Amino acid sequence: MKDTLDRAQLFALLRKQRREASASFRKGNFNAVGFLFRLALVAVFLAVFILFLGNFLEIYLAVKTDGAPDASSRLFEVLTAAYTVVLLAMVVGAVSQINRALFLADDMRVMSALPVGAKTLYVSKLIVIYLHQAVTAAVCVLSVNLTCAAYLPQGWLYYLLTVLAVFLLPLLSVGIASVLALPFHALRLLLRDRFVLSFLVITLVTAGLLFLYAYLLEGVKELLLGDDIKYFFNEGVMNAIGTAVSYMYPANLLAGLFAGKNVLYCCLVLLAVLAACALVSLVGIRFILVRALRARTGSQHVYTRSRFYLHGEKPQLLALMKKEFLLIFRTPDYMFSYFSVALVVPLMVYFCMSVGASLVVRLIAVQCDVELAVFLTLVFGSLANVFCTTNISRDGSMFYSVKAMPVGYRSVIFSKVFLCLIVTALSQLLTAAVLLAAGYLSALNALFLFGVGLLFGVAQICIATRVDLNHAKFSMEPDGEIKESGNTASVVIVAGLLTSFLVGGAVLLARMFLALRGLADRYAYLTFLVAGGVALLFALLGVFVLLYKLKSRYYRFSGGVL
Amino acid sequence: MVRVERLYKKYARKADWAVHNVSFTVRPGEIVGLLGHNGAGKSTTLKCLEGMLPFEHGRITICGHDIVADPIAAKAEMGFVTDDHAVFVKMTGLQYLEFMADIYRVPQKVRAARLKILEKVFRLGGSVRNLIASYSHGMRQKICMMGSLIHAPKLWILDEPMTGLDPRTMRAVQNYMVAYAKAGNGILFSSHALGTVAKLCDRVVLIRKGKQVSNVNVKEIAARNPDFDFEEYFLRHERHA
Repeated sequence: MKDTLDRAQLFALLRKQRREASASFRKGNFNAVGFLFRLALVAVFLAVFILFLGNFLEIYLAVKTDGAPDASSRLFEVLTAAYTVVLLAMVVGAVSQINRALFLADDMRVMSALPVGAKTLYVSKLIVIYLHQAVTAAVCVLSVNLTCAAYLPQGWLYYLLTVLAVFLLPLLSVGIASVLALPFHALRLLLRDRFVLSFLVITLVTAGLLFLYAYLLEGVKELLLGDDIKYFFNEGVMNAIGTAVSYMYPANLLAGLFAGKNVLYCCLVLLAVLAACALVSLVGIRFILVRALRARTGSQHVYTRSRFYLHGEKPQLLALMKKEFLLIFRTPDYMFSYFSVALVVPLMVYFCMSVGASLVVRLIAVQCDVELAVFLTLVFGSLANVFCTTNISRDGSMFYSVKAMPVGYRSVIFSKVFLCLIVTALSQLLTAAVLLAAGYLSALNALFLFGVGLLFGVAQICIATRVDLNHAKFSMEPDGEIKESGNTASVVIVAGLLTSFLVGGAVLLARMFLALRGLADRYAYLTFLVAGGVALLFALLGVFVLLYKLKSRYYRFSGGVL
Repeated sequence: MVRVERLYKKYARKADWAVHNVSFTVRPGEIVGLLGHNGAGKSTTLKCLEGMLPFEHGRITICGHDIVADPIAAKAEMGFVTDDHAVFVKMTGLQYLEFMADIYRVPQKVRAARLKILEKVFRLGGSVRNLIASYSHGMRQKICMMGSLIHAPKLWILDEPMTGLDPRTMRAVQNYMVAYAKAGNGILFSSHALGTVAKLCDRVVLIRKGKQVSNVNVKEIAARNPDFDFEEYFLRHERHA
């Protein structure tokens, strides 16, 4: 039978996906507080971004080329850069969504047995992904375009095109992503079950991206340290920007429409790009789906060990810790979220330190390396420790099996906490060593930084574990893997960042204030006293929160899936 | 060996009792079957017994140890296989067995011999060295059973043990259960396979809507009445209850 698009089946599939999506909003499943909290978080990020963009536009739109300001060209450059970033992020998201929908989603197992054509199935998945992407595009495009329009008034056509762009950008991102989905899946297959290689690749890619980020940060620093920011955009820089923008396809075509640059050419090329993407993705449907179904039915996980005997006895706590390590190390998403991130924290701190330290000295002539190091270590350390909010949930139904084993509640919970502590300690030790080697800290200060970081880590790990024990939500995926972070993670991220900003920011500001009054040396001990004291207090609080009625909570636990 | 006395269990946000006044015992050398329709409360009863779920009222003792007052000692005496065959899929079969051996403190000197015996029964072969994530449903069931027996428990609890097993392994497991009970150990299992229950069990506990409706020695009844049809007996009890 010919594989054609069956409209009735397509609508049935879309209805099924709508019902699945709306299930989390039904009474009983809907967490209004968590939803509003996440909404507020997005709103805060957007507000900060719009504020930053507004300030930047004020300066950038006034930049002169050939002796005269050219606001239209500047708008073109800003929009091109913004759309490039948005498009890149959307393509990355869409590749992951397509990969998940076709190769990992559990419903494909059922779908493959139903008389549904490949084209119908694929299009139904793409439509849902497109709609998700359209929401992202709406948030990004509207905030960029409306901020630009606020600084450079535009006619009705601009607003009409803005609405069009909201629908056009996802078409581009989904089209490009469906072309990239197969190579990405091939890469996943290549790395699957090669755990050490995966770990190295993931960590190196993260470190590389971080290096790029640090490079950009360095540029921002130069910009900020310049006598006048306008001088930064000299003829050379503007020429470089112009050349870069001319290569940023297809974002520059879309931006060209807004800035009124080669409108006809932009329209035609955009249409051609869209047609090409649609053609390639339609032609690729059969190929992609055959691969997807084969990946499900074929032999998976070829990883084997050669031994055929059991190793010697290990204490229960060690056995539990090993189990925990294997679970994280052999799940790519977990491995990245924890081990890779924890390993690149020292690099993050170092890059930000190299920018921040000289910036502070140049701006206010105050040396506050220790305080800055404390601030950065706490912020990045807290981001890495967010993973601990899944300490219980990631066990899935196996949490109950472990409960039925002859092992005390302390061993079960402490095995998780201890493993996280080892990772945190290693990460903090590396951070202190890097800053010591780079000459930012003395040996004593490095030791202090390690201690403060570790104590904050203890607090975060203990609290995150307890919060997860109180509100554990087990994954319904066949492998028990948690695909989406819950409200617990959001709460712990915000609480961790707030604490880090408060404590780190307080010692930093206190040092600056004292230095400006010439009292820095006299009250140098304040940093150690405040940061050390608060860290110790938090650590004790964390341990108390974890241990408070832990036994009763553990044995009375009946949440999750049972 | 196992004594369940007036067990009551209610799930949060549910009006009805999941388990209501269930009492039974499992003696050494006895195989006891827990029967009932889907949702009758068999798995919940077993989960309370294994210490996975807390319960509202009643008392459960395993080899003289109270599951609430002395959970670790009670759990050390039993091996269990859950109905969802929950295992750590990111471990290889061997790593899982090693983990179970460590948790149940199996001495090094007996590990190799135990592995050999279990391999003879379950025949996972070279697959035991693969990641459990690659296992089929039946293979997961087998590794669960191997893990539950690595410490040679006095009590073996199985929730739907025959589901997913191939006929040869099913026969091997049944033979092993009989031999295991003959060695003086107790076995408690739930099943819908009435033929298997009739063949293996000394006693059967019937549960319906959380309530215990009968607790009979089927071997005795069968011995008294050669025409005894267990399937008919079960269905009649279901209807009357």
